[in-house]
Amino acid sequence: MHIPDGFIPLWQCAIYYVILIVALYFSLNWARRNLDEKAIPLMAVLAAGIFAIMSMNMPIPFGTSGHMVGGALVAIVFCAPEAAVIVFTIVLLVQGLFFGDGGITALGANVLNMGIIGGFVGLYTFKALRKPIGKYPAIAVAAWLAIFLAAEAVAVEMWLAGTFPLGAGLFFMGLYHAFIGIIEAALTVVVILVLERVRPDLLAWNKNKNLGEQKPESSEVSAK
Amino acid sequence: MNTNDKYFIIGGICICMVIAILSPFIASSNPDGLEKSSEQLGGTESGVYTAPFADYTISALGDSPLAGIAALALGVIVALLIAYVVGMIIKRRKPPEKST
Repeated sequence: MHIPDGFIPLWQCAIYYVILIVALYFSLNWARRNLDEKAIPLMAVLAAGIFAIMSMNMPIPFGTSGHMVGGALVAIVFCAPEAAVIVFTIVLLVQGLFFGDGGITALGANVLNMGIIGGFVGLYTFKALRKPIGKYPAIAVAAWLAIFLAAEAVAVEMWLAGTFPLGAGLFFMGLYHAFIGIIEAALTVVVILVLERVRPDLLAWNKNKNLGEQKPESSEVSAK
Repeated sequence: MNTNDKYFIIGGICICMVIAILSPFIASSNPDGLEKSSEQLGGTESGVYTAPFADYTISALGDSPLAGIAALALGVIVALLIAYVVGMIIKRRKPPEKST
């Protein structure tokens, strides 16, 4: 769902860039307060993994294809949508500059859809559903909804840009990404299950739990 | 960086490389959801900028799957390194700052 150059008029690209800059400002503030040095390898590996999955198009019905995104994954692992903003800005920049996937002028819009919307929808859906339906079902629903709403946001942006009519855009983008979302949900659950198995210390929700005995000096920081 | 983190990064790179190697064989060459929608609804891509390895192939390596694998492997390493360096730059300052 990378928007290429030329789909969005430049003045609208400028608006998305302003949103990107504001989001980065808050994200860098978050990083300065909360990004532990121990979490940097995780962030780097997630960036590499997201590059890989976003570059590989999976076949879905209707003669089309789509790729997974992973916005919900990053936000849930770090318990912070800010982490998704940082990771997606880096990955989308690499993809746009080196591989021609996603426009340079559309970078702001692409980070908005996959990083900001994906991250916020993913994390807060997960938080809302975690108690009623359980941890892993909540992750699956959050991941599906994050990619679905990101795709619908693309449709709205295409309508604002005058590229697609609204109704048809919402229908096609929603239809295709409802299928991709199933793969996305499965992948997100598997990655978090594996992380929980091999490196539970890296998951933010585990960190907050046993913060008291492990790192007393940092408790005030994560409590904000 | 401790040994655990090194293994974690190496493991992560291995998984990404498996994806990169499989990708040319299992990835679909059908247009993606956005391209397909744009085919159906109109909308043109304009070439403001041409990326060196467009469509995830290194054209110097010809039309073999190797060109795609090499491009993806390169991208994975570049993304990892940039994220690591950026992370080191923007990480939490020690000692934890008093909230200013």
